[in-house]
Amino acid sequence: MEYDVTVEDKNQTYVVLPAYNESTRIRPVIEAIAEKGYNMVIVNDGSTDNTLEVITECKRKYPDKIHIYSLLINRGVGVATQTGFDAVLSFSPKYVVSMDSDGQHSADDLDNVIRPLVSGEFQAVIGVRPFDEMPFTRNFANNVMNLLTRIFYRVNVTDSQTGFRAITYDALKKIDINAKGYLISSEFIREVNDNNIPFAEVPIKTIYTPETQAKGTNAKEAIKIFIQMVRHQF
Amino acid sequence: MLLYSILFPIISVIAIVLFLIRYLTERQSLITTILWAILWLFVILFSIFPKASENFARLFGITRGLDFIIIVVFVVLFYVIFRLFSKLDKLQDDVNKIVKEVALSNEITLDDEDE
Repeated sequence: MEYDVTVEDKNQTYVVLPAYNESTRIRPVIEAIAEKGYNMVIVNDGSTDNTLEVITECKRKYPDKIHIYSLLINRGVGVATQTGFDAVLSFSPKYVVSMDSDGQHSADDLDNVIRPLVSGEFQAVIGVRPFDEMPFTRNFANNVMNLLTRIFYRVNVTDSQTGFRAITYDALKKIDINAKGYLISSEFIREVNDNNIPFAEVPIKTIYTPETQAKGTNAKEAIKIFIQMVRHQF
Repeated sequence: MLLYSILFPIISVIAIVLFLIRYLTERQSLITTILWAILWLFVILFSIFPKASENFARLFGITRGLDFIIIVVFVVLFYVIFRLFSKLDKLQDDVNKIVKEVALSNEITLDDEDE
């Protein structure tokens, strides 16, 4: 049965957006999410450009939809997302989503991503990017990361490095994330799995531009994540 | 007398004095000071009496005294790097905690911008 995501569901959903030097890309992302009726917790990750000003301008337009937090110095996507998750708990939402703020993810997928949570069938969702549309190096790095997530965290998922994920409030309170960088993606999946939180995988769109390709899990990040995974075993 | 047998003991004495100052100014624990002092005393010993290293080497089944010194230096360096790495990691975690707490207790509102 197809569940409809109601206005009430959207009002009780908070989207966490970690943002580092995204001044040229973040505005359309925020506006698209706000227009869809979702709330946002945006964490400025010590950006050195005017990302914070852009976010604040957006808040003027959607004052009730946006909550802004700013890290004094850049601490990476892991810490920024954790900060967003911690902040969001104080609003007691029903559902929490986290997605990239560089325009790589589409706000059109938000309904699809939270639908399994709304139906009550699942408590967490992982947005799966289309691997066949990925550039070769990115595709290879993500496949390696899937394999490593399977070996070290004993979870088999189609896309372990996705930044688009959703979780219910109750499930979010159960998980404990300490990752500093891009390891957060694998760690989120590990925590969901270790806490026996039922999760679904939902296909999402990915918009690749030269700018979005410069970020995310490339070969260098994959090596860093691998080292952190090894260290977590001890 | 060779140059190193004069130079190394001088460096060692300076190092021991510096470690003592660090201990007296409470920037270092007693055990760390003792361990470093022992290490530098060995440097003095091996600089003045190079043959002594051969006796220590034989204790560990190593033939040459110099090999023994190189191995010890490697072990000490690896240990120091490991300690630095752990401390750095802990410091990173502490910084993350502080930065996170500061951000969480200071939600940015439009009033902040207007001020």
